[in-house]
Amino acid sequence: MAEVHVIGQIIGATGFSESSLFCKWGIHTGAAWKLLSGVREGQTQVDTPQIGDMAYWSHPIDLHFATKGLQGWPRLHLQVWSQDSFGRCQLAGYGFCHVPSSPGTHQLDCPTWRPLGSWREQLARAFVGGGPQLLHADTIYSGADRYRLHTAAGGTVHLGIGLLLRHFDRYGVEC
Amino acid sequence: MAEAVWSTDTGEAVYRSRDPVRNLRLRVHLQRITSSNFLHYQPAAQMGKDLIDLATFRPPQAASGHRPDEEEEEEVVIGWQEKLFSQFEVDLYQNESACQSPLDHQYRQEILKLENSGGRKNRRIFTYTDSDRYTDLEEYCQKITTSASEVPSFLAERMANVRRRRQDRRGVEGSKLKSRIVTWEPSEDFIKNNHAINTPLQTMYIMADLGPYGKLGYKVHEHVLCILKVDSNGVITVKPDFTGIKGPYRIETEGEKQEHTSAWKYTIDNVSSLAQPEEEEREQRVFKDLYGRHKEYLSSLVGTDFEMIAPGALRLFVNGEVVSAQGYEYDNLYVHFFVELPAANWSSPPFQQLSGVTQACATKSLGMDKVAYFSFPFTFEAFFLHEDESAESLPEWPVLYCKVLSLDFWQRYRVEGYGAVVLPATPGSHTLTVSTWRPMELGLVAELRRFFIGGSLELEDPSYVRIPGTFKGERLSRFGFRTETTGTVTFRLHCLQQSRAFMESNSLQKQMRSVLDRLEGFSQQSSTHNVLEAFRRARRRMQEARESLPQDLVSPTGTLT
Repeated sequence: MAEVHVIGQIIGATGFSESSLFCKWGIHTGAAWKLLSGVREGQTQVDTPQIGDMAYWSHPIDLHFATKGLQGWPRLHLQVWSQDSFGRCQLAGYGFCHVPSSPGTHQLDCPTWRPLGSWREQLARAFVGGGPQLLHADTIYSGADRYRLHTAAGGTVHLGIGLLLRHFDRYGVEC
Repeated sequence: MAEAVWSTDTGEAVYRSRDPVRNLRLRVHLQRITSSNFLHYQPAAQMGKDLIDLATFRPPQAASGHRPDEEEEEEVVIGWQEKLFSQFEVDLYQNESACQSPLDHQYRQEILKLENSGGRKNRRIFTYTDSDRYTDLEEYCQKITTSASEVPSFLAERMANVRRRRQDRRGVEGSKLKSRIVTWEPSEDFIKNNHAINTPLQTMYIMADLGPYGKLGYKVHEHVLCILKVDSNGVITVKPDFTGIKGPYRIETEGEKQEHTSAWKYTIDNVSSLAQPEEEEREQRVFKDLYGRHKEYLSSLVGTDFEMIAPGALRLFVNGEVVSAQGYEYDNLYVHFFVELPAANWSSPPFQQLSGVTQACATKSLGMDKVAYFSFPFTFEAFFLHEDESAESLPEWPVLYCKVLSLDFWQRYRVEGYGAVVLPATPGSHTLTVSTWRPMELGLVAELRRFFIGGSLELEDPSYVRIPGTFKGERLSRFGFRTETTGTVTFRLHCLQQSRAFMESNSLQKQMRSVLDRLEGFSQQSSTHNVLEAFRRARRRMQEARESLPQDLVSPTGTLT
């Protein structure tokens, strides 16, 4: 068995047209992986940028995995939401990035996208909010049905991930 | 001469111990310095003179009424947080009206019991423990300069609250904190109870009552001999340090009259008993069992095996993302990509697909470019079987081809660009930017057709981006083929490689950076196989020689017959 430690943080997000953003995150792994310690999903606070357009969350990620194979490497999926002055939450973007597979510190910029509806739905979203959302969240980290989507580019989520690998060289794996 | 005897360094020392702090023992020896005691430090060469001096001084002391010895010298062994009462406390707590808190009542009970059983065994040396009121006041009103009018500032008060020990912490506060994250109007008690640092300290003061003979029990004569602080991480702070082989510390007191001025010396020694070898061994065995059981529990969750691959094969495992596409002419972009494995020696599992199509993404402006974000995940693995043992034949590496298309309102699509990139040969994280081009036809008619009707020239064979599949020859020429430069596609690849040769190279403690150097391990593996085969052949030849030997032995026997 080999072990992977994922220690990092969701630093913040830039490039969104909305303000008052928060982020829901989750990590999905394959069947050969087991989470030994840590929380595999969470939600940040709502942050309103004062200067510039970067919202800072500094949300910690600390996970310890054990695995029997390389299949199903952990993948990180994000949902960025915005909250308006009335407390309504609407989707700002979906994002995905693989957890890196080499040890060390990685600065990841995760671009996000959101589904587009018809022009009527787009017009309604501009005035009263709302908009289409994914029925199943697994579309974010699986590419199977992605071609059916029509999306628009959103902002970018910035992450700092540190990775510790253990016992992989014992089985001849170069990382 | 006097200065050389005393220890003038009263700084604190920091120790670390994994033993429980309740095993700490200190011996404090306190002694008054008088003229007769000075004579003990005279050099040995002047012993004759000392005898004369002793004879001279003895009668006057006896005539003046010499004080008993127990008032001049005292030695006490003190445990951690061991409460030794002072004369002031004995006088105070015998009066029941002076008891205010439960601790005061507890002290009163202990003092009454102590008085009934014969009084204190300590005279001048006493202690203030972590629970005493003195310890709280001392940390709050601690002076740091020689100024007589030093007043603690607002910051000092707040820091004292933060660094205070959490004696008053209640369980209710802990549970209440979880339900309410923000307290908008905190009270003073709330601040004191909750603003505490993570490592609370336990403090203990070793004090001495240096009042004149017969006048013990006054606060003004109390002096600090030693301050002990211990936190939960096993860090022990002693101020001043243990004397050990150093000289004793000195305290001078001032009285109203000249005859009341006196000097004291004291030593602090660590007399904690060491653990027995059997106990230490048993403790280590308990820790080892605990860690071993935890390790077995972690192993049982997943199992100790790991997937392995066939000998002589190299497994390339890639987690990748189509990150973005930027700089294209039309909107609503999507990327069609696939991985091509070289025909020789490469294979992949049949269940997985080596191609994919991203979603169509409307672009947005970022600087001067228009960017489409995909974040499209793909994962594949490929196996390389190295059959040729020649080191000169470097393996061909898989290639990632991509094709960028755009979709318009009437669902017509246009080819925006073709690109290709060789997968990285080194494991790790890589961000690749692929420049793309699209085929172009001379003339205005083609551009008008592309603009109005859609559609454009497409490559019949996508491998034409690099080396066409039908190419046979030595020189690749694409003269006559005309293209136009378009935007770029960004991929992010996380590569892992696995091989049995890596295990052997790791065990041999070799530092090989590139996978092309790693492939030398295959040759070493083959060399080992050759040596084993040669050894097997030599052994077979030896057996054949041994089978023919009995016939030679039979011949000499026949000759003798």
